[in-house]
Amino acid sequence: MRSARWSTWIAIAAVLAGPFAWACNRGDDVGGGTTVALVLKTLNNPFFIELAAGAQEAADSLGIELLVQAPDREIDVEKQMQIIENLLQTDIDALALTPSGSREVVPAIAKANRAEVPVLIVDTRADAEALAAAGATVATFIGSDNVEGGRIAGRFVAEALGGEGNVAVIEGIPGHETGDSRLRGFREAISEYPGISIVASQTANWERDQAFNVTQNMLQSHSDLRAIFAANDVMALGAVEAVASAGRTGDLVVVGFDAQDEAVAAIREGVMSASIAQHPREMGRIAVESAWKILQGDSVPAEQPVSIELVTE
Amino acid sequence: MRREFGTLAGLLVLCMALWIATPHFLTTANLLNVVEQSTLIGIIAVGMTFVILTAGIDLSVGSIVALSGVAMGTAFRAGLPIFAAALTGLAVGLACGLANGALITLGRLPPFIATLGMMSIARGGALMLSDGRPISGYSDGFRALATGDLLGIPLPVVIMLAIYGIAHFVLSRTTLGRYTYAIGGNEEAAELSGIRVRAYKSAVYGIAGLLSAVTSILLVARLDSAQPIAGIMYELDAIAAVVIGGTSLLGGSGSVIGTLIGALIMGVLRNGLNLLGVSSYLQQVAIGGVIIVAVLMDMALRRRARLPTE
Repeated sequence: MRSARWSTWIAIAAVLAGPFAWACNRGDDVGGGTTVALVLKTLNNPFFIELAAGAQEAADSLGIELLVQAPDREIDVEKQMQIIENLLQTDIDALALTPSGSREVVPAIAKANRAEVPVLIVDTRADAEALAAAGATVATFIGSDNVEGGRIAGRFVAEALGGEGNVAVIEGIPGHETGDSRLRGFREAISEYPGISIVASQTANWERDQAFNVTQNMLQSHSDLRAIFAANDVMALGAVEAVASAGRTGDLVVVGFDAQDEAVAAIREGVMSASIAQHPREMGRIAVESAWKILQGDSVPAEQPVSIELVTE
Repeated sequence: MRREFGTLAGLLVLCMALWIATPHFLTTANLLNVVEQSTLIGIIAVGMTFVILTAGIDLSVGSIVALSGVAMGTAFRAGLPIFAAALTGLAVGLACGLANGALITLGRLPPFIATLGMMSIARGGALMLSDGRPISGYSDGFRALATGDLLGIPLPVVIMLAIYGIAHFVLSRTTLGRYTYAIGGNEEAAELSGIRVRAYKSAVYGIAGLLSAVTSILLVARLDSAQPIAGIMYELDAIAAVVIGGTSLLGGSGSVIGTLIGALIMGVLRNGLNLLGVSSYLQQVAIGGVIIVAVLMDMALRRRARLPTE
């Protein structure tokens, strides 16, 4: 009995010590100087980890404090709002945000506006209509032209197939602006090739294991499938694995989006065909630098496009 | 009551530690913020407390949040007035809960299995009904449920406290409450003493479903969007709140007051870790640690009181 109690107290001390040691470590910088918060969709996708790394580099060279926070799961817009609300209680000077839900996050942006914290939107747009309805404003948008990226992917697929064949699409979470824009661009480009038709289009919610299953099912129901376009690389890699387990590697054109390291390696290996390179590091850097400019009273453009390109090797 | 004091002490220690660690914690705005953020899990956890008191478990609450929200959104989009749409959502939640109850009592399925099935059915139903897309665009009047306040207290908090008040009354003063404890304490004995165990157990799962639907209405109002992917993992947060609050997973002992404190501990912890700027990865570790420590403490207390621990 006595020993049980001791172990309990030791466990409590251990659990509490971790976060607090962390906090004390950072205590010197928080509150002093300039603090920029970067709230991402998640921190378990290499894209956002890269974005955070770029932001951190810029913050270090400008000598400002960067707080990076994200919900556990990419789709958890409610948790993301809570994080924003909590951070607004601290002395953050600017908020850089990749919305988990383009419409849903708008009330949190309005709260930031009320707290007079400038909001910079990165990667995924906030819904313009919802912003207007809530009377909320954002300082700038930093991100890729996803529609154009989708078009590039579409033209690549069409040419790789010689203008003929059946194509499947793996969608991200419906309602996410980035995914929707990529698909719009892709469909636009494909529609110019009468010989190519999109025979299946399903969501895998941005996730690799779901994309694996979705692709397996698509290969089952469409044996004549010749190409797959996934709205991000995480899903494209899931598709690549499903294609491999069906013994059809090299037989299908698989195109992703993001050109993250693992996808580029897969392209070099020849198991994946192409990806659209975004530059998340660049996005992170521009976000922090723009925040700094805004806080200095300088103006920044309302739209800051970050370049994209096709990667085939 | 002594058990709740232990949990309350835990909450106060946590608050004190945060008060020392960051100047931003102990402000009226932030405390209101924490309580408001605790409302969603807090309300679901009331239903979960009833279920766990009967020695059951409900894994479907998060999916029911999604399905009732989407049902409400669909009804609203089909032209029903918002009030009727909300009632539709509540009816769907109640129906799911009662279906759980029927599967457990009439179908004799273990609660874990019945509600695991419902978790998938309700989630799939929400995706089918909404075609996987969020349903947005509600009136400001409706959204006031999430954004409005009563004498400075956010409305969701008022609603949550009212629900806790009612639940506490039900559990401590009514037949349903007494029987809930009796069934969890010893189901066979309850049956033998003439309690209509099946009816009361079904009612308890019905309550859990209904309260999930209440949560979904607040969530839709907060996000201005009914999402088929809403509420994933809410069941685990709710179970954690109940367990931290001192309700025994073996059934028969615990209270909603403890659960309220448990939900607040979870809310304060998340808020505090955000305020401190703790890495998102470490936050998950810390939250898991607190759940384990809370149960360790609970078991230690039970051993001292010579109550069964397994």
